[in-house]
Amino acid sequence: MAPPQGQMRPGRQLALLGAIFVILASAVWFGGKGGWQDRLAPNLGLDLVGGSRVTLLAQTGADGKPPTTQDLEQARRIIAERVDARGVSEAQVVIEGNQNIVISVAKKGDDAINDVGQASQLFFRKLLSQTDGSGLAAAPQASPSPSASASGSPKPSTAASPAATPKPSVSPSTGGTGGGAAMAPTPTPTPAASKSPTASASPAAAPKPSAPADPKVTVAQVQAKVGKAAWDAAGKLTAVAADPAQLEVLQPFAQLNNFEVALLAPKVQFYVPQVSCEQLDKRPPGSINNPDAEAVACEDGMKYLLDVSKVKGTDVDKASPQIEQNTNRRVVSLDFSSDGLDKWTSLTKESFNNEGQKCDQTALGAGSHCRVAVVLDNKVISSPEIQGVLGDDSVITGDFDQKSATDLANNLNYGSLSMTFLQQEAQSITPTLGGEHLQAGLLAAGIGMLLVVIYSFFYYRLLGTVIVLSLILSAALTFLALVFLGREMGFTLTLAGIAGFIVSLGVAADSFVIYFERLKDEIREGRSPRSAVPRAWVRARKTILTANAISLMAALVLYLVSSGAVAGFAFALGLATLIDLVVVFLFRHPIMTMFARTDAFLSPRVSGLGRVLHEAKEAK
Amino acid sequence: MSGLASRLYSGDAGFQIVGKRKLWFGVAGGMLLIAILAMSIIGFKPGIEFEGGNEFTVPVSAGSSVEVEKAIDDAIKSVDAEASLVPVQKVGDAAYTVRSSSLTNEQTEAVKEKIVTTLKLNVDDVSGNRVSQAWGAQVTEQALIGLALFVLVVSIYLVIRFEWQMAAAAVASLVFDLVATAAVYSLVGFEVTPSTVIGFLTILGFALYDVVVVFDKVQENTRGITGSSTQTYAEAANLALNQTFMRSINTALVALLPVGGLLFIGAGLLGAGTLKDLGLVLFIGMGTAVYSSLFFATPVLVWLKEKDPKIANHTARVLARRAAPAKSPAGDLPAQVGAGAGSAAPKAGAKPTVGAKAGRPAGRPAGKRR
Repeated sequence: MAPPQGQMRPGRQLALLGAIFVILASAVWFGGKGGWQDRLAPNLGLDLVGGSRVTLLAQTGADGKPPTTQDLEQARRIIAERVDARGVSEAQVVIEGNQNIVISVAKKGDDAINDVGQASQLFFRKLLSQTDGSGLAAAPQASPSPSASASGSPKPSTAASPAATPKPSVSPSTGGTGGGAAMAPTPTPTPAASKSPTASASPAAAPKPSAPADPKVTVAQVQAKVGKAAWDAAGKLTAVAADPAQLEVLQPFAQLNNFEVALLAPKVQFYVPQVSCEQLDKRPPGSINNPDAEAVACEDGMKYLLDVSKVKGTDVDKASPQIEQNTNRRVVSLDFSSDGLDKWTSLTKESFNNEGQKCDQTALGAGSHCRVAVVLDNKVISSPEIQGVLGDDSVITGDFDQKSATDLANNLNYGSLSMTFLQQEAQSITPTLGGEHLQAGLLAAGIGMLLVVIYSFFYYRLLGTVIVLSLILSAALTFLALVFLGREMGFTLTLAGIAGFIVSLGVAADSFVIYFERLKDEIREGRSPRSAVPRAWVRARKTILTANAISLMAALVLYLVSSGAVAGFAFALGLATLIDLVVVFLFRHPIMTMFARTDAFLSPRVSGLGRVLHEAKEAK
Repeated sequence: MSGLASRLYSGDAGFQIVGKRKLWFGVAGGMLLIAILAMSIIGFKPGIEFEGGNEFTVPVSAGSSVEVEKAIDDAIKSVDAEASLVPVQKVGDAAYTVRSSSLTNEQTEAVKEKIVTTLKLNVDDVSGNRVSQAWGAQVTEQALIGLALFVLVVSIYLVIRFEWQMAAAAVASLVFDLVATAAVYSLVGFEVTPSTVIGFLTILGFALYDVVVVFDKVQENTRGITGSSTQTYAEAANLALNQTFMRSINTALVALLPVGGLLFIGAGLLGAGTLKDLGLVLFIGMGTAVYSSLFFATPVLVWLKEKDPKIANHTARVLARRAAPAKSPAGDLPAQVGAGAGSAAPKAGAKPTVGAKAGRPAGRPAGKRR
């Protein structure tokens, strides 16, 4: 039984509300630039204005821990640089939660950013051996080195440059998404002398990898799938299997999908002919990102066995596409960091002299020196033969056109993310569709508001005006807060956010219902409307605070644990609840207090309290 | 207005909701059983976000649904002969969507280009959405963590603000709402998308909000109830329910009206997507929330409370006191006074004053009466 409130000062509360409104409005107006439309424009999400968005999920490291904040920030910077390098303007690259990076480009349905996060890690690896990767059994020993058309070192300067491989090795699509190149693999490898497989009747052609299977497949499952015989046989191989009997045993390997292939040991991937380049190219990102392990990767249908990585993408300071002055050819020049330079020199020395882990006959270049493969993600993007022990002034030559040279340079520059990403969602929404979403969202909000207004007039008569006024006030405050937060915090209003506001309409109207029903209770208990208002307020206030606290908790918890649309929705809900509290305390209550002092309030016809008043009178 | 409406309005409709709690528990049990059966036998229909896949949207102006379907079908088949397709769906008045199994980025772009050339559209007219299988799972995982965290935080809050029985009853009704909503989704076969999951979480706030308002009134009505013996806890709670009945109905209406608008616009105008998914789950969830706050939360609360010895004793006392008048041969003065005192009577009546009215139970010293 709370004591009746003392003298109310509705004027003060209204003045405070006015002050809040004016401060917020001027912050919005003077904080912005340009015309009035620019100043009052809230930050709208892609689903409302059109645009594209790609969500990338950082893969956990070997220790199963999520990436650190610094790693993620570094990755974000690299991705942002890559996006810029592609000439996509006004792209936004943000970290979301503790594992996601979201790239969004507003207002145009641009697919250019789709593969930007996919190319992940860049390594230089010595090419140890190669074989035909079409999935058929090739006779490996007999296959000579790929055609001898390689040009000698074109650079007259002291530093020899790595020559390009016979075939221009840079594929036109950057990023190595595992898609494009794999869809149209060069069917016949160029090495002319490579013996065409005699046993080609065997249906060993790689099966079409179906839609990605469960990425959580384990080695044990793969082992079970191929069977013990095949697994053991594969493990014992020390050269590419060629014997027909052996091939027969290894047949089950052709059935593996891209996820399963990734789990095989590198030697098995290489020595089992049934493991095709098509399967290898489609391995999930990050399948061969361990620099300390050997790896298998493909280039132009040839399957390479690659040494451990002794130089990484991070060792490259700067790569730039250039046109060689003497020959007018496009090349990509490399500058290494001081640390990287030592490693590069020793790698080229080792390759030039074929020291250390020896590369075999099949992998030697035209000049009988080892080749070094530039491996981006799961694929080899270039594999030049090393023409000398190289220093800082190295260039990669090849049949580049402008685009492929730029792409290779970009990959070398920005190719090294410290982690790999899995694309979670890629969405492009046309401006037309976005506009329709916005319209529909606003219409839904309008209809919702109208229904609430009609209902409150029907049920509460003149008191309905208090609801209507407070809804309008809430809407204005919400809009100003949206513009302000959009500018200061980067809050973006999405369709889910609009839905959040619509839901909160119910909450706003509800605190009103609680107050009014309380008011009726008090009058029913025999109080005069004038004394009922403060008493009802004290009791309703407690209920409203409790109930809104619950809403706020829900919004806060949702916001903290979630990302993307969920977070936007939760933010909108929380913001609307806070604004509701402001409106209840600083508008609705003082207005009711003032209202209770008028005669109209006592008239059954206008106040909506009519029946209660009537009953109360009868009861006396 | 007729009797019931008027009584409803004034809060004394006298619905025996708590009294019939066996019925409500039976209803809830039945629904729970149906829900478990539905979820285990029928399961859910997951959206593209859970299965992984591609979605293409083209404006209705592109042609008839047959033409659009053929064009998209050909385009997809040309890049991946084995891709599976969900037939064209008209989404509101604005667009058609076609879904397919997962394609790569290059394939997606190729399909878009083909659609644009075949249907002679502008590149800006074709929207594409490509999601990996893990996406929906990630959203759901977040949702479950959110759910657990929310229940924990809110339980602590409710225990502090009210008492543990109320917290338990509120959480029970919350679980009821979630299960019932999930059951509807399973039974009707509505598609579950991340938006549905978001909406699902919002029900949490709303369901508890409603329960809290009712419990607030229950708390007020039962404050110091053990001090008097006119009402049992169950009766006081039932009265609170009746008093907030109209408010609950009003709240339900004002909350459901905008959501209904959302659903109407989302489904009618846009046909599919965030608005429809959110609107649908909220509509169903809030509906069940209104039911459970009226017919489930308070009965559970009373059931829990009556396990408390203090409340149980009090209830027994009130009932005994009420039953007593029938046995007592009641004189002209209120028999309850004595009957209420029960076993205390002999002690107090040890020395009846001579000449006092014979029938009067000398239960209490006069001074104690007011």
